[in-house]
Amino acid sequence: MAASIPLSLRRITSRIAPRARTDLEIVLLLYIPILAMLFGFVAPLFIVVVEASKMDFRELTSSYYIDLSSEAFNNFITVRELPNMIRISVNGFDLGVIGNSVVNALLVTFIAALIGSTTAILIGLYRFPGRRLLAILAYIPLLIAPFVNAYVMQRYFGKSFTLNTFSYVLSEVTRPLIGKDIMIEFSGQAGVALAQILMFYPIVYINTLAALGAIDATLVEQAINLGARGWRLIRSIILPLAMPGVLAGSTLVFILSLEDVGAPIIFRFHKVMAYQIYQYFQSVGSEASRPAVAALSFLMLVFAALPLIVVRRYLSLRYYARLARGAPRPFRGLRLGRRGLAAVYLVVLPVIATAAAPQIGVVVLAFSKKWIGPLPELLPLDSMFMNFATLTEIEGVMRSIYNSLSYVAQALVFIALLGFMAGYATARARLPGASVLDILSSLPLAVPGLVVAFSYYVFFTTYFQGSMLDPVLFPAHVLVLAYVMRKIPFTVRSVFTAVIQTPEELEEAARSLGARRARVIRRIVLPLVWRGILAGLLLSAIYVLSEVSVSITLGGLKGSMVSPDHVGPITFAILQLTTQATVVAGGTQPHAKAAALAVILMTIEAVVITIASRLARRGQALVTI
Amino acid sequence: MPFIEVKGVVKRFGKTTALRGVDLSIEKGELFSILGPSGCGKTTLLRIIAGFEIPDEGRVHFEGEDVTDMPPDKRGTVMVFQNWALWPHMTVYENIAFGLKLRKLPREEIDRRVKWVLELLGLEGFENRFPGQLSGGQQQRVALARALAVQPRVLLLDEPLSNLDAKLRLKLRGELKKLQRQLGITMVYVTHDQEEAMSLSDRMAIMRDGRIEQVGRPEELYTNPQTLFTAVFLGRTSLVLGRVDDLHDNKAIVRVGKARLRAVNHGLGRGDEAAVVIKAEGARLTAPHDLGSYETVRGRVSVSMYLGPFIEVRLVLPGANYEVLLDLPSDVTPPSVGSDVEVYVPLRNLHAYPVEEEIVREAMEHT
Ligand SMILES: Nc1ncnc2c1ncn2[C@@H]1O[C@H](COP(=O)(O)OP(=O)(O)OP(=O)(O)O)[C@@H](O)[C@H]1O
Ligand SMILES: [Mg+2]
Repeated sequence: MAASIPLSLRRITSRIAPRARTDLEIVLLLYIPILAMLFGFVAPLFIVVVEASKMDFRELTSSYYIDLSSEAFNNFITVRELPNMIRISVNGFDLGVIGNSVVNALLVTFIAALIGSTTAILIGLYRFPGRRLLAILAYIPLLIAPFVNAYVMQRYFGKSFTLNTFSYVLSEVTRPLIGKDIMIEFSGQAGVALAQILMFYPIVYINTLAALGAIDATLVEQAINLGARGWRLIRSIILPLAMPGVLAGSTLVFILSLEDVGAPIIFRFHKVMAYQIYQYFQSVGSEASRPAVAALSFLMLVFAALPLIVVRRYLSLRYYARLARGAPRPFRGLRLGRRGLAAVYLVVLPVIATAAAPQIGVVVLAFSKKWIGPLPELLPLDSMFMNFATLTEIEGVMRSIYNSLSYVAQALVFIALLGFMAGYATARARLPGASVLDILSSLPLAVPGLVVAFSYYVFFTTYFQGSMLDPVLFPAHVLVLAYVMRKIPFTVRSVFTAVIQTPEELEEAARSLGARRARVIRRIVLPLVWRGILAGLLLSAIYVLSEVSVSITLGGLKGSMVSPDHVGPITFAILQLTTQATVVAGGTQPHAKAAALAVILMTIEAVVITIASRLARRGQALVTI
Repeated sequence: MPFIEVKGVVKRFGKTTALRGVDLSIEKGELFSILGPSGCGKTTLLRIIAGFEIPDEGRVHFEGEDVTDMPPDKRGTVMVFQNWALWPHMTVYENIAFGLKLRKLPREEIDRRVKWVLELLGLEGFENRFPGQLSGGQQQRVALARALAVQPRVLLLDEPLSNLDAKLRLKLRGELKKLQRQLGITMVYVTHDQEEAMSLSDRMAIMRDGRIEQVGRPEELYTNPQTLFTAVFLGRTSLVLGRVDDLHDNKAIVRVGKARLRAVNHGLGRGDEAAVVIKAEGARLTAPHDLGSYETVRGRVSVSMYLGPFIEVRLVLPGANYEVLLDLPSDVTPPSVGSDVEVYVPLRNLHAYPVEEEIVREAMEHT
C-alpha cells in the first residue's frame, strides 16, 4: 500500500509531464481550478471533521438531539372546541434536533417529489390549453424571496392571534353552515414542512421536466405504436426516463430542507440542526458550543452526502450537458380527451396556484402597510410605493445593497476566471484529474451552505488568523470566497456544455495552423461559446445575490444592520427586517419593507434568468438547480 | 533520411490499444495513404503525426529531428479534418488568413496568398461568405485552401472527401492529385476507400487492428499482397480453405475439397492448412491462348448475375462448401444456375497464405 502510492503518483506524473511539454496551457487550465477548489472548498470542510472529532458523540444521543420517546408526537395535532371556533393546531413532531432535521427533510422530500414529478409528467406528457402558461407559472417559486416568503406562508396558514388567511377563507364557508369559525394552524415542524414543500417542490418539477425534455419523441411514439397508453405508458416509458430528474431534484430538496433556516426561524421551530448552526454565529466568541456545532455540521454533511451516492451521476457535468442539449426531437405531448383534461386541471391547477402563492403574497406585502391579521392592509394608492421609497431611510439597508453589489462584482471576476478554466478543462483535458474536477465543480451544490459557513469560519480563523482571510477582521473577503465556491457550479456547467457542443476539431485546426492554445481560446473558443459563458455567469450572479446561508452567518460578523460598517448583503437585511420587529420606521411593519427589498431581489432574479435562458437558447435545463 | 519517420509507436486509450507498435517512413514530396477498416487506428496515427496525441511508446521524427513532444502548433504540419472544421464565425477570407496572420506576414502578402489559394481551388468570389453559406464541396475546398495557404511542410488529411457524394468525391480526388503534383507537398492521406487510396497514392500502407500490414506502391500491394489481410482487403476477392498438397517453384498446390488450386505461395509448407484468396477479375469462360498462366476452376454455378460491366458468378467447388466469386466479361451469355462450368482464372489472381482464423471468419462472413 505504502509503495503503491508513490508508484501511482509516478504514473500520474508520467502522464502529465509530456503534456506539460507540448501543451502547458491545458495543464494549467486543469490544475489551477483543482487546486483552488481543494484549498477553497475541500480543505475547510476537512476542519469540520477535525473539530467534530473533539466532541463526544454520545452526547448527541441525548434526548435534546434525538428523542424517540412516545412524547415526540404528543402535540402532533390538537383540536379544541371554543364557543365560536374550532381550533385545529397541527404542530408536528419533536424528535430532537437531529431527528427533526432528518425526518422532516425526508418527509418534505417525499411529498415534494410526489407533487413535483406528478406535475412535471402531466405537463410534459400532455397537451392541453394553458399548458405553456402553467409551465411558466411553475417557475415562479424559483424566484427566491428568503424569509419574507416564509413569513407570508406563516400568515397564510400559521399560528396567529386572529384567523390566518386560509382559515379566514374557510370560515366564510363554515360560519353559515355550522355557526362556527374553523381555525387550522400549522406551527412547529408541521409549519416548517408545509412551507418547505411549497418552496422546494418546483425543484423536482423542473429537474423532471428537463429530463423529459431529453427524451426523444421516437421513444414515446414507438411505445404508443406498440399499444402503451395512459398509466402504462407513464410507468413503462416516461417514469424510468424521467427518474434521473426526479432523483436529482429530490436530492437537492433533501439538502435544501436540511440547511434551511428561514422556515425554522419564522415558524419558531428551533430544534433543527440548521438553526443550531446558525445560532452559533449569533454568539460567536462563546466557543463552548463549538464542538457540538461542529458535530452537527459534520452530521449534516454526512446526511447530505448519503443520497449523492445514488444520484452522483446525475450531478455530473456530462449529464447536465446532455439535459441542456435536450433530445434532437423532444417529445411534444399527447392530446387529451375531455375527461383527461378535467383530471389534469384538477391535479395541476391547485398545485401551481399554491406554489406561486408565497411570491404573490410577498409582492402584496410589499405594497401593504402591514399584514398582521388574516389579510394585508394595503397602502393607499397615492403612496403605493412607500415601502420601496422609504427603504433608503432604514439604517443599513442601502449599505446591504451596496455590499451585495460589491460582492457580486468581486465574486464574478473569480467565478468567470476559474469557472471558464474548470469548464473548459473538464471538457478538453485528457489528463488525470479531469474527472476529479468534474466532481469538484458540482460538489458545492450538494454541500449545505451552513456547513460551508461554519467550516469557513473555523478554518480561516484557525489557519489565517490576522491575515487578509481572517473572517473576524475581513469577513467580506471570506464571504466573497464562499460565494465564489458555492455558486461557481452554474458557470462551470454552462461553459462545459457550450464547449463540448463545439467540435474539438475547430480548435485543433487552429492549433495545426500554428496557434498556441491561449490564442485558440481567444480567437476560436470564446467567440463560439461566449453566450453560454455569459448565461452561466448571470446565473451565478443571481445565485450569489440571493444566497442565504453564508450571507446571514459570515455576513453578520461585523454586527447587525444598524452597525455602521456591517458587511451583510441584501438577504441579511431581509432577515433582520423580518425578525427584528423593533426596527420600525415610517409607521409601517418592517416585514413590509423586507418584502419591498425582496421584490427588488425577485425582479432582478426574473430579469436575469430570462436573459440567461435567452442566451443559452434553452431555458428549462439551464435553470435546473 | 526519411521526411517523416514513425518508430514503434504504441497508443492506448484506457483499455483499448489503438496502435500496437507502428513503424512507418514517408518520403519528402510523396502522397502517402493510410488505408484500413474502421477502427484500425488510422486517425490516431495521423493525430500522433500532427501532435494532437502523445504516444505511450515510440518516437516520431521529422527530417531526423525528434518531434514526439513538440506541440502541434510548432510542427508545421497542417491537418485537414473529416468534418473540415471551418470556423463558423469567420468568413472564408478570415478562415484562410488565420494561419497567415499567425506567421506575422505583412498584409499585402496575406492578401496575395489568400488570392492565390482561392484561385488555385476555384473559390474566387466566396471570400466574404461564411462557411454556413457554402455547399459541401465548397467547404471542403476552403478547408484545403486554409491548409495550403500556409504552405505547410506536411499536409495531413483525414478522410477529407468522405462527407461528399460520390460524384463530387471523384472530381475532388482528381483535383487533389493535380494540386499535390503541382505543389510538391508531402501529404499523408487517411482513408478507408481503397479506390481512393490506389488512385491517389505514390505509396500506401495497409493498417489492421493497430498495426501496419504492408507498405508499398499501390500496384505492388494489389498484385502481390504479402499478407492474408492485404489480399482479402484489396479488390473483389473470395477466400477458400484447403491443405497444401505440393509445392512447385513459387506456387503451392492446394487441395480444396475435390479440387486442386495452384496459387502463389506465401510461406506455406507441404501439409499446411492454407487460405487461398482469389481475385474475381480477369476470369473467362473460353480457353485463353496462354493456358499456362491460367488456373482452371471447376464448379457448380450458384449465382449468376448480369451487372453491366461484368457478370458476377459464384461457383461452388466440388466436395467443398466454399463459393468462389468470379467476374466474367459481359459479352458472354451468363451461365445458368445449377450448371457445371469451367472458368479460367489468371494465375496471378490466386494467392495462398497460412490460415488466420479471425481474417478467415470475417472474409467468409462478407462473401
Ligand atoms: N480519444 C479516444 N478515446 C478512447 N478511445 C479512442 C479514442 N480515439 C480512438 N479511440 C479508439 O482507438 C481505436 C482506433 O481509433 P481511430 O479513430 O484511430 O480509428 P480509425 O481507423 O480512424 O477509424 P475510422 O475509419 O472509423 O475513422 C478505436 O477502437 C477507437 O475506439
Ligand atoms: Mg478515423
